[in-house]
Amino acid sequence: QSPPGKPEIHKCRSPDKETFTCWWNPGTDGGLPTNYSLTYSKEGEKTTHECPDYKTSGPNSCFFSKQYTSIWKIYVITVNATNQMGSSASDPLYVDVTYIVEPEPPRNLTLEVKQLKDKKTYLWIKWSPPTITDVKTGWFTMEYEIRLKSEEADEWETHFTGQQTHFKVFDLYPGQKYFVQTRCKPDHGYWSRWGQENSIEIPNDFTLKN
Amino acid sequence: LPICPGGNCQMPLQELFDRVIMLSHYIYMLSADMFIELDKQYAQDHEFIAKAISDCPTSSLATPEGKEEAQQVPPEVLLNLILSLVHSWNDPLFQLVTEVDGIHEASDAIISRAKEIGEQNKRLLEGIEKILGQAYPEAKGNEIYSVWSQFPSLQGVDEESRDLAIYNKVRCLRRDSHKVDNYLKLLRCRVVHNNNC
Repeated sequence: QSPPGKPEIHKCRSPDKETFTCWWNPGTDGGLPTNYSLTYSKEGEKTTHECPDYKTSGPNSCFFSKQYTSIWKIYVITVNATNQMGSSASDPLYVDVTYIVEPEPPRNLTLEVKQLKDKKTYLWIKWSPPTITDVKTGWFTMEYEIRLKSEEADEWETHFTGQQTHFKVFDLYPGQKYFVQTRCKPDHGYWSRWGQENSIEIPNDFTLKN
Repeated sequence: LPICPGGNCQMPLQELFDRVIMLSHYIYMLSADMFIELDKQYAQDHEFIAKAISDCPTSSLATPEGKEEAQQVPPEVLLNLILSLVHSWNDPLFQLVTEVDGIHEASDAIISRAKEIGEQNKRLLEGIEKILGQAYPEAKGNEIYSVWSQFPSLQGVDEESRDLAIYNKVRCLRRDSHKVDNYLKLLRCRVVHNNNC
């Protein structure tokens, strides 16, 4: 039996620039029941606070709701491990929520085969921003990427669509099935993971419905 | 992309905002790159970072500290605040170029970006003043002059103190250019799109 090993804060992320979560790796527990606590102080403040919510984001995590989240302010975050034999603390992590934004992926991905007046067929792709990000007021400016590939292809074909939430793809092969995904990135942050995959088959003899 | 091609600024407010925001975003990216370049050298040195982080000199400017706060500020007041924020970096950027010259591994990268930001800040000021002139002519000239506590000259200062000061200055520059970019994007949605971007 021994004091706990040194925990390590391995990531902090904000999905919406209004709340954020930090996760840590506990390290060894020295063969004894070990308690973990996350403490933090904010730039320009002397006081140290404890994590407001250890539950919402799952084990070994701390969730900061809107009430506890300030942007343009540095948080100095530490995780402490304690058991009967002693305690140990992680290295401090310096976090400004401004720069740790990683949104949820886009939603409502819709695919439709359409035709131009000159009978040219194309795949019309449409999606919506993730629910919890505030794009309407401009607090969040989102950019998107789509990727698609046919059933037989190995490689995805990726397109950056800027702030647009729709995209047209031409020159697809009739009779082929295509898979599509989208992801998004805030103007100052990380790409989301790729969203839910959707698929569609390009009909052989596509004719416009009246 | 010039803010007013050929000096002609008779363009819809939306286009004016779009051009100004393209510039503010570019300036933010430059300052973020500058900070990342510098941070590479100290990222593992917790002690250095703990000592380096100190108040940003522009913190005397009462800038809104979040979305709700920013939305409470009247647009013309926020535009004048942005002008002050951008203006207050004129001298420190110039100072940074001389301070960093030749004393840092990353100095070339920092100097070129600092000069570029200095140049682009001038165009950004011009663009914001055009927005004010077009949308809020009565509010022009109400800029809040920040008492820019003169960044202490770093001439003759010991090496560590100088590096600490430069790190904090570049950190504050990234933060303020992010604020400017964020506020302008909020204002565009509010003023041009009625909060329905």
